[in-house]
Amino acid sequence: MDNQEFDRLWQMAGAKQTASRMAAEYPAWLAKRRRAMGMVAAALVVAMVSVPLLVPSTTKDYDHVYCNRSGGTDAQWAALAADLLMENA
Amino acid sequence: MKTSRIIAILLLVMLPLTAMSQSGLYKKLAQRKGVSVAEVTGFRINDSVKIDVVLMTADDEATWQRLKKEYGITGTAGTTSWLGELEHPEQRARWEQKPVLRIIASHSRKAIGFYRIETDEQFDALIDYQMNAIKKK
Repeated sequence: MDNQEFDRLWQMAGAKQTASRMAAEYPAWLAKRRRAMGMVAAALVVAMVSVPLLVPSTTKDYDHVYCNRSGGTDAQWAALAADLLMENA
Repeated sequence: MKTSRIIAILLLVMLPLTAMSQSGLYKKLAQRKGVSVAEVTGFRINDSVKIDVVLMTADDEATWQRLKKEYGITGTAGTTSWLGELEHPEQRARWEQKPVLRIIASHSRKAIGFYRIETDEQFDALIDYQMNAIKKK
């Protein structure tokens, strides 16, 4: 074995070691990445749900409407609240 | 932890918080049959005053007649209004700087509105709101 051949074999062994190490670490890295993406998705969902509930809108004349049935829209219920006051005036 | 688990846990936290902001009156009335009930929180009376309102509409004439009897509502046209106690809206109350309900029943709409008043500011703002409504008529 001469020096050139030794270098070639040494580099091949190094590349194999790197490849096997990457293969071993890839599933853990993938799981970590999935967890991070999951956390981001969860944060987005929470923001989408909570922001309309917790932050009063400045354009509406009410903060929130709860209803025991589907049917009337939030704006229709708020309009009824106003209409009853007007009708009673 | 999977995303779905995180979302489930967050919803479990969020939903009770949502339920907590519903008034006892709404929760009580929402159980009734034959009525649609809604709670409008933060109903804007003017630029600085908001109040919470519970609204109840009867599905049919028979239910409306039962509600009229229960709340002591007389007449067949126009509106009937009174101040009622928080826990027992059918019982008439006076404004004595403690929370009460201003209740308005509309015969034509078969609807009753319960406006929760807690402060002098809200009490006065509601009257001003109606005075302005008269001016607009």
